[in-house]
Amino acid sequence: MSEKSKGLSKVEEICSQRSGRAKELKDEGKKIMGYFCIYPPLEMLSALDLLPYRILGDMREPITKADACLPTVVCPFDRSALDLGLKGKYDFLDGVVWAHVCEVGEKTAHVWRTYLNPAYFHFIDIPHTIHKPAQNQFVQQLKDFQKTLMSFTGKKLTSEMLAEAINAHNEQRSLVRKLYDLRKPDPPLISGSEVIKTLKAIMSLPVKEGSELLREVISEVGERKDGVPFRPVRLLIWGSIIDDTPLIEMMEELGANVVMDDTCVGSRAFFPDVKLTPDPLEGLAYRYLVDLKCPRTFKESTYGETKKDYLTDLRSRFSYISDYAKEWKVSGVVLQSVRYCDIHGYEVPGLGDYLDSVGLPHTYIEHTYDERSLAPLRTRIQAFLEIIRS
Amino acid sequence: MSYFMGIDVGSRTTKGVIAYGSRAKTFHTIFSSNNYREAAEKIREGLLSRARLQAADIAYTAVTGQQLDNLSFPFHKASDTRCCARGVNSLFPEARTVIDVQGQSTQIIRVDEKGKVVNFVVSERCAAGSGRFLEIIANVLRINLEDIGPLSLKSQNPVAFTTSCAVFGESEAISRVAEGTPKEDILAGVHRALAQKISTLIDRVGFEARCAISGGGGLDMGLIKAIEQELGLELLIPQKPELVSALGAAIVAQESKP
Repeated sequence: MSEKSKGLSKVEEICSQRSGRAKELKDEGKKIMGYFCIYPPLEMLSALDLLPYRILGDMREPITKADACLPTVVCPFDRSALDLGLKGKYDFLDGVVWAHVCEVGEKTAHVWRTYLNPAYFHFIDIPHTIHKPAQNQFVQQLKDFQKTLMSFTGKKLTSEMLAEAINAHNEQRSLVRKLYDLRKPDPPLISGSEVIKTLKAIMSLPVKEGSELLREVISEVGERKDGVPFRPVRLLIWGSIIDDTPLIEMMEELGANVVMDDTCVGSRAFFPDVKLTPDPLEGLAYRYLVDLKCPRTFKESTYGETKKDYLTDLRSRFSYISDYAKEWKVSGVVLQSVRYCDIHGYEVPGLGDYLDSVGLPHTYIEHTYDERSLAPLRTRIQAFLEIIRS
Repeated sequence: MSYFMGIDVGSRTTKGVIAYGSRAKTFHTIFSSNNYREAAEKIREGLLSRARLQAADIAYTAVTGQQLDNLSFPFHKASDTRCCARGVNSLFPEARTVIDVQGQSTQIIRVDEKGKVVNFVVSERCAAGSGRFLEIIANVLRINLEDIGPLSLKSQNPVAFTTSCAVFGESEAISRVAEGTPKEDILAGVHRALAQKISTLIDRVGFEARCAISGGGGLDMGLIKAIEQELGLELLIPQKPELVSALGAAIVAQESKP
């Protein structure tokens, strides 16, 4: 990485060769720990001086190897990530951490372990409900994770080390929230594509380096004069992973600024902080199980009651989205999902009903996590923007 | 100078309309032949010569269907959802739901009394829900596209199709042919399968009476009957359903003239 580049140009540089910094650090003796999805607690890795490196797919690279080990009718993002692994693109990882996010994710984890056989592999069996017994079970899971990490690194992981790492990650989260504040003006000061690239970049850096990069981007974007043009529609994009820019760029071309997201290379991964608790694992368990807002976790408005009111339930699950819409002055919501993503697919009808109840226009699109397959979505986005504008 | 032109560049055919107000003055259809830009230019020339008009007589043009750039004339790019809604509204102001069966996909559009799109849903990238499925089956049965409808209407005993995939549907049709099933029963089965798929799409956006059909699918009486049976209603059928989006584009051209 060149010494000179800063802020957004540094983000571009990192995104063009995302593993560059990790490989440099590996040469200096640091261990690189790949993680899948946003559920493995990164604080536990950072505390032991391991570099958490987000495993992503590549929607520009055809899937050619993964179909020999995974069915073709499952999440194309998981297939793409595994495909990259099988092609050796993740060979620099010293270990891999997975969490039970969804069924396909779980099976892909085992396939990854079998075919790629990393030196360290840990699978966290995270519960799917949020009540107290589930939280307790998750704390136990984190204790097991802690044991395997200590055995792999030969280091003790103390509460003090964890608290320090929690503070460092919380600091990064507050910087990401500041970055998102820059999307509130009209036009926004930073574009949707620039935000994705920035977050993708910091998901490949040590936490403090990532925070430094965020500071540079925030200061650059706050000062620049030739930022994002005005576009008549302000969109929030919800759904399964978006780790590249073509979909957002298409919306921008058609006359919308994407000003907010509820996706996992986005606000979902960064917005909630971890509270420091006497046993830090409890704070971590609460944040990752209760506060993270991914539909992989089943959340009920009332636990243990036998009768359910539909609208109350919808409000308790989705009101944060209308809060986002108000704060970021959103005029429409695009619900998007990769094909075969059941956790997001199940959420769509209910979320649609909720958005109707608060008067937010919405549309649903499905894609195959393949840059070339996005063209047919263009007329749908176009028609949706026409509805909002009329 | 109050003529407006609408061009609908479809995957199979390109349609054009010159409208005066919301009434079609001239219309024209050609095959798209894999060169969509050329098709748009050609249909414009064809329309002008049929209408005995000059380019300068056309106040503005809107183009829908395939996404095109850099045409030789100024134009507005509009989605086929909006154009179809406007076109149907100009013909049937009472229509609130539109079933638009195109070559590559089918869309259901909910429209208000002014022809504005309230909501819409498009069939996923799959030939089973589109006119293409009918083309495939016509090919298997070695019959012309325009004969599909009349033949299907003769069926007394429609075949049940177990698949909603066009590729498997084709092999299923071949198996039925091999078993000696009459062509009309196979066609009626295909129409029923399409109608069921359309009904599912309608469930996703909700239904409001009355309901119109548009697109090339609206030329197929077999499909229309199957949809009417499936939904238990009578459809509003334009005289030239395949031209509805082009007519709507001409109306959109009036709305969006700079």
